[in-house]
Amino acid sequence: MLNAARLHIVGRRVLQAIPVVVLSTFIVFGLLKLVPGDVAVTLAGDNASEQRIAEIREVYGLNQPFLLQYGSWLAKAVQGDLSNSLVSNEAVLTSIERCLPHTLLIVTLALLTALLIGVPLGIAAATKPGSWIDGVVMAIASLGVAVPNFWLGMLLVAFFSLQLNWLPATGAVAFTKDPWASLSHAILPAIALASGGIAEVARQLRSSLVEILSSQQVRTLHAKGLPPSSILWRHGLKNVSVNLLTVISLLANRMLAATVVVEAVFAIPGMGGLIVNAAMHRDFPVVQGVVFTMVLIVVSLNLLTDILYSVLDPRIAA
Amino acid sequence: MRVFDLGSRTLRRRDILALIGGGAAAAAVGLPALAQEPKKGGVLKVAAPANPSSLDPATGGAGSDHSILWTIYDTLVEWDYETLKPKPGMAKWSYPDPTTMVIDITPGIQFHDGTPLDAEAVKFNLDRNRSDQRSNIKSDLASIESIEVSSPLQVTLKLKSPDTSLPAILSDRAGMMVSPTNIKALGNETDRKPVGAGPWKFVRWNDNEIIVVARHENYWRKGRPYLDGIEFNIITENATALRSVVAGQNDMAFQLPARLKPVIERAKDLTMVSSPTLYCIQVYFNYARAPLDNLKVRQAINFAFDRDTFVKAALSGLGEPARMTLPSSHWAFNKDVAGTYPHDPEKAKKLLAEAGYKDGLDLTIGGYTDQDSVRRGEVIQDQLGKVGIRLKFTRGTIAEISAQFFAQEKKFDLLVSAWTGRPDPSMTYGLGFDKGAYYNAGRTADPELSKLILESRVSEDLAKRAEVFAKIQRITVEQALSAPLAFQFELDALSSKVKGFKPNLLGKPKFENISLA
Repeated sequence: MLNAARLHIVGRRVLQAIPVVVLSTFIVFGLLKLVPGDVAVTLAGDNASEQRIAEIREVYGLNQPFLLQYGSWLAKAVQGDLSNSLVSNEAVLTSIERCLPHTLLIVTLALLTALLIGVPLGIAAATKPGSWIDGVVMAIASLGVAVPNFWLGMLLVAFFSLQLNWLPATGAVAFTKDPWASLSHAILPAIALASGGIAEVARQLRSSLVEILSSQQVRTLHAKGLPPSSILWRHGLKNVSVNLLTVISLLANRMLAATVVVEAVFAIPGMGGLIVNAAMHRDFPVVQGVVFTMVLIVVSLNLLTDILYSVLDPRIAA
Repeated sequence: MRVFDLGSRTLRRRDILALIGGGAAAAAVGLPALAQEPKKGGVLKVAAPANPSSLDPATGGAGSDHSILWTIYDTLVEWDYETLKPKPGMAKWSYPDPTTMVIDITPGIQFHDGTPLDAEAVKFNLDRNRSDQRSNIKSDLASIESIEVSSPLQVTLKLKSPDTSLPAILSDRAGMMVSPTNIKALGNETDRKPVGAGPWKFVRWNDNEIIVVARHENYWRKGRPYLDGIEFNIITENATALRSVVAGQNDMAFQLPARLKPVIERAKDLTMVSSPTLYCIQVYFNYARAPLDNLKVRQAINFAFDRDTFVKAALSGLGEPARMTLPSSHWAFNKDVAGTYPHDPEKAKKLLAEAGYKDGLDLTIGGYTDQDSVRRGEVIQDQLGKVGIRLKFTRGTIAEISAQFFAQEKKFDLLVSAWTGRPDPSMTYGLGFDKGAYYNAGRTADPELSKLILESRVSEDLAKRAEVFAKIQRITVEQALSAPLAFQFELDALSSKVKGFKPNLLGKPKFENISLA
């Protein structure tokens, strides 16, 4: 799968990713400094006085020049030290190690749900375009896009947690600690997060499948007497797999961002809650750490997508 | 659902507290006894509204920390739940003369690590609190000149000036004693590995997720605490916090916004507690510059507010209209100035015209982005709009907007925010209105006011102190230095198995009386 040419591409992409990561952390750092508000005010707390705020800036090095602050953060970060939270003093790496698995579990489950439900729906709609099945699927898809995931989340909690008492309403459990408890906590948030994804997968799959199934090439195959199921699986789906991959990759990125809202609804101590709380207090080491991690994940996902493209369709590899 | 509306005027607050606290009083009025002999054991699960800023009382700063800190740390002085009058805690105090305060420590108290809580430990803590580089409470103890150990269990404080607010100050962060052994061993790390002498000892803190505390077996108050431990599950979204209690994952959620009252009422097996607090929703003025430097403008704003309607519209009725920065149940409340600003739009318009704003006035105001603040802002905008004051709102996070208003930037003429209350009223007036005070955006003050604030700390006699506070209130109200709107009631949801919970006037729950059925 990874021949010399592909290895070369991977190497080039990894090198290209470095400035992306650095630049994004620099921009976020700059934005945090540009927007009004000051972590020193948070640190001074209810007893704040101007003198105390000035003292805190001194003690925590917050009055150092912008580039120096960023530089010292970056120097530590490349050595694997993401500093400590200015507000709570917890090591940022510790927070991320604890929060990231919760977020990744929900996103993974949501992606799987989107595929498991979206793909059959898309196929069903595409094989009978214009039929009632197609209509129903497209209606579901429109609904899935239109319904905000936090609202769906609340409905799910109201029904499955508060009414039926089947699944927990809030919180999260580490997968390594108790896999079943972990999954039961993740199911509802994953479904809430997946709703838009199901719709998107179904619509994209339907439109690209319809296009291929109505092409000259497929008509020829029909004329040759090939069974429809074989045409669908061997010629149709194989051809749309690249499109589907694009959808999955975009969805994964989007879901990572959407967890901010879903995590708030379900009180999941994940990356979303971490960054929102930190941004509110201008706790820049935490914001930087989360952004750094998220950018790494997105860049890796994109890299993986590119490699898979070239596997699925060798013409893209160039 | 059972409702204990402790703000009710028909049943006196004291009676209802007795109902919750003791079975005897409950039986007397023919209601089922709510708290028999408290049962020992069990872990209370609480939805906590915020991640603590620190578990070291000296370095933290957020008002929401207290409920968690009190489980780990006992204070030298405590207060009465209903009036906030100071009373002995781990120590008693006395003033042999106005500039000397003697602290006598209860014998036999130990920190969780076995270190004795003696005079040396108290001196260590007070010295650290008033001088450590990272201490946020230096200003609280600024009146102390020196601290001496006068016997193994006695500490003598020499004061620069008389300061009778110290007992109340020692019921807050400054009086929370941390183990000197732990501080010496861990330094700055103690805020994540705290050791106190409170009823529970620290077990675990995962940021934004959970804090766990477990029973301190050698606690100095025999028979206490009732609970084996407490789990604080940090849920910043109020509605989510309440859902976790409805679903049975937590036993209690506190400091809920009034808009969630109907949700608690609809839920089965939940007890609702609502009780007065010092939390004063108010409009802050920057009165150092035009147009708020004009007394008539400030008074016009105060006359323009319909506080009763504000309580109904912005707080679903769960509050008390505010006439000054202290509620009517407080020992230092001055009823003589309470009627200064009845709702009088005509008077407000007249004052504005006299001030030269016949056609109304445009003002800038800062506020926060959360749902409840927006609702308050809308009511304020509407009420001021009716007398011709047009508001331009800027909203943002608390860190952003309050820094812009109070710190150097000096943006906005007004800020809609709250004063969360302090154990001693001299702290409230000193921090909020004194010359140079941070929460006084303009930093200027009437010299008479500054003098009275100092004077309020001279006498130990509460009646005498109340007289001084009456003068202070007359100045702040007549000079219209702010526009207090309402005291928010606390709103808590408890599962039916939680027994013995008593709310307090500070509005920050203590868990010392709670047991599980």
